Amino acid sequence: MKKDKLKIGIYELTGCAGDALLILDCEEELLNIFQAADIQSFLMAKSDNIDGELDIALVEGSVSSERDLKELQDIRKRAKVLVAIGICAGLGGLQAAFLDPKEWEENRKKVYGQVEMTHTKPLQSKPIDAYVKVDYYLPGCPIGKEQFLSTLTRVLAGHPPELHRFPVCVECKWKENDCLLNRNILCLGPLTAAGCAAICPSHNLPCVGCWGPAEEANRTAEYQLLLEKGFDREMILRKMANFSGTRIADFAARLKGEKK
Amino acid sequence: MKKISIDHLARVEGAGGVTATIDGQTVTEVKFFVNEGPRLFERLTVGKTPEEDLNLVPRICAICTLSHRYAALRGLEKALEVKSPAKVSLLRDLMHLGEMIESHSLHVFLLALPDYLGYPNAVAMAAKYGFEAKIGLEMKQFGNHIMKTMSGRFIHGENPAIGGFGRYPNREELNFIKNRAIQFLPFALRTVQLMCELNYPDIPESETLFVCCHPPGDKFGFVGDEIIISNGDRVDVQDYKKVTNEFIVPHSFCKRSQYKGKPYSVGALARINNLGERLEGEAGRLFKKYYNDRWKKNPLFNNAAQALEILYAFERVPQVIDEALKLEDPAPVKWGRDTGKGVGAVEAPRGILFHAYEIAKGRLVHTDIITPTAQNAEDIERYCFLAAQELLKKGQEDKIRDRMDLVVRSFDPCISCSAHMVQVTKAPADDWKARLRSLTAEGPAVFIGLGREDRSDDRAGLELARRLRDSGLQTVWLEQELAEAPALEKTPGRFILLDAVDFGDKPGKVCLLPLRYVLWNASLSHRLASVLSAPLSYQKLMDSYLLGIQPASILEGGRLSVEVEEAVDKILTALQN
Repeated sequence: MKKDKLKIGIYELTGCAGDALLILDCEEELLNIFQAADIQSFLMAKSDNIDGELDIALVEGSVSSERDLKELQDIRKRAKVLVAIGICAGLGGLQAAFLDPKEWEENRKKVYGQVEMTHTKPLQSKPIDAYVKVDYYLPGCPIGKEQFLSTLTRVLAGHPPELHRFPVCVECKWKENDCLLNRNILCLGPLTAAGCAAICPSHNLPCVGCWGPAEEANRTAEYQLLLEKGFDREMILRKMANFSGTRIADFAARLKGEKK
Repeated sequence: MKKISIDHLARVEGAGGVTATIDGQTVTEVKFFVNEGPRLFERLTVGKTPEEDLNLVPRICAICTLSHRYAALRGLEKALEVKSPAKVSLLRDLMHLGEMIESHSLHVFLLALPDYLGYPNAVAMAAKYGFEAKIGLEMKQFGNHIMKTMSGRFIHGENPAIGGFGRYPNREELNFIKNRAIQFLPFALRTVQLMCELNYPDIPESETLFVCCHPPGDKFGFVGDEIIISNGDRVDVQDYKKVTNEFIVPHSFCKRSQYKGKPYSVGALARINNLGERLEGEAGRLFKKYYNDRWKKNPLFNNAAQALEILYAFERVPQVIDEALKLEDPAPVKWGRDTGKGVGAVEAPRGILFHAYEIAKGRLVHTDIITPTAQNAEDIERYCFLAAQELLKKGQEDKIRDRMDLVVRSFDPCISCSAHMVQVTKAPADDWKARLRSLTAEGPAVFIGLGREDRSDDRAGLELARRLRDSGLQTVWLEQELAEAPALEKTPGRFILLDAVDFGDKPGKVCLLPLRYVLWNASLSHRLASVLSAPLSYQKLMDSYLLGIQPASILEGGRLSVEVEEAVDKILTALQN
């Protein structure tokens, strides 16, 4: 029996387009996967796009305008499975830095002045699950090739993705890197989701937290460890906030048990 | 009226579009807009450390990530008085050449070439032009490889740091890149031939200003601390605002720029026009062979300029590596100070990029970033307008949509994009009424009647203004009163000029269009001398409109024609309601 190919759409809301570009960069592997799937829409790669029913929608970027919101709601209606790719879609992204609406409005005015936009209304940046149901999340800024390919393969086969629930430190140990914390460099590896293969520590650079907060249950202990090493609370939380989007408040709140 | 809208620009990196509105024989509106919501990078970096800034700002754009990182590094290091060692500068140039190769080959082969060869996308093109598609893809992969080696990963790699690199590439990695670059040379030569021998359409053609970084010394290059403008001006990058003069338009989240009251272009074509004479080797030879005056006025030649830069990059990579390999990996350079200001400029693939910082005690207090697409936006609209207006005049209305698509794409705008969603809509007659209503609803208007009393229909603007004044309206001026009028620039409200204009349409036809379109259109602009001699800023002009009536005759003597008389009545009624 001949099975119909699964229909996939790849969409970009507000962001740097890095996740879509990374998918484009998968080149050879992509060709193999695309043989198993029918790419209905991929704005960066093709012009003959169709907005129809989808088996899987991959959505990058945060909702930062009414136009984003309308597009997202339309995608959700058409898609059986919706995957948020990257931390903009998953967490709100870098642009979700101003969580207080007043503060956001003040800063928006500092950039754009009093001019009212006519083409679409700007919205405070939010992750896509603030508006629609998201089935799976793929973290990263941008997403990693290996995680993307394994996730897409699993979702194509009807299985949930299997992502690392441990922090970057584990991947760093696998690589037998020297721990930067021992050199008194504030590395966010203990608090950040793994999946990048500890790329920054492998370049003698501290983890910047771009995969967002790790899900590991033990994060309070990891945080405590950083405090014990003498790193500043404000500095740790501020650096975590850079890539945690709207989830930073929740993240900070869950660091309970912290010894002052 | 027809509305042509390219809502999603396919095969461009980023989300944006263009719309054009056609009213009879006149293009009354062209809008280039970016759909990206506001991201506020200039604000969210404030209060952060320079290192954090370096983590954040490359995320403005995935395809220009290393250009943003390089511009930020140059700005931050100036502010912090960090003098990077020669090897660091060379390796940064190498990573930047990688980004040029990656971005240009993606754009030339996979995005632009299908347009010129008549295919909807690169995959369709590959059936007949398999070699070109394959070479394009391999060049892009090689560019990606350089970027990954130098920055740590394909996109948003953190390896290039303040004062050096986290990890230096080893001799083997560098030699691999060098040898591959040499192998690519024949294909890079072929790329230049291909792109320079294409038959580029001659609409639109119009001179513009070109702006780019002025590299020190006498070599071609992509970084410098001075800005060079094609009119001969040089500006220190610290004074970049004298060039960019940003302003905001309500139809896009992307700011605009103008220099000395004119839109300008940045990108590969700007670099080749301003610095092409400096090219050496094969790139220099082919520059001399192919360069001509059309490159100065036709934006489509940007694709040819990109091809020349691909060749330059492949010739330059081995030289940079040879120089770098002679030097030891330096120790990280420490900050000279923690408080200061600095502006960094580099040429991103699509044009000059500025990052300006002010740092106090190790924290950012001010950030200003001006991207190339923002600087190109105004010229993109201008060239789209010119293309649409000229094709319309030639009776080739059916070509407008594709040509505008080609023009926008030639600028290689950095906006995440998609399928051609182009609509052509027939709209009701008298479109000007609704537009005039929304204009006057937005704020106060100052009406200026233009024309000559003694030339039949040319009196229309004056007549209209007088009758508006008679109806009790205060903010009305006649052309002959302008000399004594209070400073025009300071007069509050938007100018709406009233004039008889030869649109090449039926007598009595009324069109409302932005004044800058008239300025861009040489055949119409000569009639506005009295207004243009007033000291008006570009922003004021750009906010002004022209309400024009097609005359039946502008011969000496005579009365208003019946058609124009009717049009004047209609406008009065519309304004009084």
